[in-house]
Amino acid sequence: MTDMNKRVSGAPGRTSWQREAVGFVLGLAVLAMLPLVFTDSYSRHILIMAFIYAMVASNWDLSLGYGGVFNFGHLALFGIGVYAYALLTKLAGMDPWVALVASGVVATLAAVIVTIPILRLKGIYIILVTFGFAQLVMQIIISQSDITGGTQGIVRIPGLYIFDHNMVRDGKIGYFGIALTLLALSTIFLRVLVRSRIGASIVALRDNEEYAISRGVSLVRQRMITLAASAFFTGVAGAFYAAYQRNASIDVFGMSLATIVLSMVLLGGTGTIYGAVIASFVLTVFAEAMADFGAWRPMITAVLIILVMLVYPSGLVGMIQAAWGGLGGRLRRPT
Amino acid sequence: MGALAEILFGGLFQGSLYAMMAVGLALVWTTIGVFNFSHGVFMMLGAYLAWQLVAFGLHPAIAFPLAILATAGVGWLLQATVVRPLIGRANLVLVVVITTLAAGSLIENGVLTIWGPRSKQLPPLLAGNTMIGSIGVSLHQIAIIVVTPLILWALWMFLTRTRIGLALRAVAQNEDASQLVGLNVTALYGLAFAIAAALACIAGIFMGGYRFMSPVMGADPLLKALIVVVFGGISSISGPIFAAYLIGFFEAACSYYFGLYWTPALLFAVLILTLMVRPEGIFTSRGRGLA
Repeated sequence: MTDMNKRVSGAPGRTSWQREAVGFVLGLAVLAMLPLVFTDSYSRHILIMAFIYAMVASNWDLSLGYGGVFNFGHLALFGIGVYAYALLTKLAGMDPWVALVASGVVATLAAVIVTIPILRLKGIYIILVTFGFAQLVMQIIISQSDITGGTQGIVRIPGLYIFDHNMVRDGKIGYFGIALTLLALSTIFLRVLVRSRIGASIVALRDNEEYAISRGVSLVRQRMITLAASAFFTGVAGAFYAAYQRNASIDVFGMSLATIVLSMVLLGGTGTIYGAVIASFVLTVFAEAMADFGAWRPMITAVLIILVMLVYPSGLVGMIQAAWGGLGGRLRRPT
Repeated sequence: MGALAEILFGGLFQGSLYAMMAVGLALVWTTIGVFNFSHGVFMMLGAYLAWQLVAFGLHPAIAFPLAILATAGVGWLLQATVVRPLIGRANLVLVVVITTLAAGSLIENGVLTIWGPRSKQLPPLLAGNTMIGSIGVSLHQIAIIVVTPLILWALWMFLTRTRIGLALRAVAQNEDASQLVGLNVTALYGLAFAIAAALACIAGIFMGGYRFMSPVMGADPLLKALIVVVFGGISSISGPIFAAYLIGFFEAACSYYFGLYWTPALLFAVLILTLMVRPEGIFTSRGRGLA
């Protein structure tokens, strides 16, 4: 992991923040215009799902790409968000908007708990423990079926509301707006964090742990911050997913979802945040375009993932940079 | 007395299966330094190949070895396509996780397309049931308990007594030095993957003989094998074998006293606690080595 993507994210602040802000606002504006083009609720559903995936994948990029912490329990944090929202609104009767934020907090607390056993670990052992953590959460949810519905899941979860507006009306424009807002907030949060001194120290720990520690960076504190920060919006994304789908099931802990989101992070190119967002769109839209292929779809996706990993080690962002050279890629170039 | 016999037998049986799976994972990790997330899929594919050969009318005594060879070939092929080209990448471990996951998904969906979702079952190694003391067991289970240590012993002999086995251990200990003394490291990588796949296929044949097969049947054994290698320490072969049996007994005891639902949760809790105290596993010393 030591010199991974040094070229891409090694020097925070390489692109001036004004330039990045312009690019960000432009990108956001384009996304906000999409409902004008895609007016049917099915296309918008795809976009909403892409926004949710983008949140989960870009937050994973914080711990995986910047922190170099192989947190394979990231999707469990998403699942914790889903179930926290479901239980808080349905059993505790909490207001959906409050529950949305509270779910993020619950996921953050869970991330702090899982960080404790991995503080002393490295590389493959972090993968194994976090993987075990994800399975533990799933097993607890299955075994506590009185509260969580077990393998049946939870149905009829209260959705979000804005006054009396029916959120599903007008081609789901309400949910589209909320999803885009959440993604924008999450991306701003992540970009501000990775450009800050904290972000620099997180990258320093990844690139040369001994040196960073000797210069006074606390491994324990920074690793806590990395995982906790990557958990909040992941939990919120899970809560939003639960509110939008209005049901919760243990499928969110499955390997297939984890594989898809992980390939978004890696296809996008780690240590960029934007790469994960772009890859989430590409993969989600691609998966939809392939819907006609039925059973062949997962196989074609798998082959493409392998091909991109073999040919473009730095992912889609590296591919775009290579293709556009210094011209068009300038605004998109991360940090 | 009945409780003890039941726990002992259950532990030996589950432990055998876990050991079979975990050894393959550890073999690949120690030689190549990557984690093979398609190991569970090898097991599933092996069971399906065996089933198909038996369905062609071959006797299991011929069909099973053929399936084992075929799965070993698939293992070698997978290594050549999604692992070997990546060797030397800075983020090798991570990239191989995703490529082996993707390859696993490819094979899993391929099996689903070819053989369909209907459950299948393999003929048992030995048909019939018997009684041990007060508990009823199938001869298939007894065969597994007896055969597994023999296979593991053969693997051990291969690794410690033959030239090729010693070469594998040399690569595990020091890759650069092995290359310097003229060992074909690339071929040995392929061999490690092939052996691991063959062992997974044997586990698949074991499992297909007493449970219904499905394209996702490898997921749970892979998970258990992961726990075993974490618990026993991934950087050796003997550690995971001991750990496999230990976890088998632990599971058998847990499900006897606390019920089936709580067993996985307890297992993971013990696992996380173990790692906090001894991150390198309980049966190993630090460092990588195939012994």
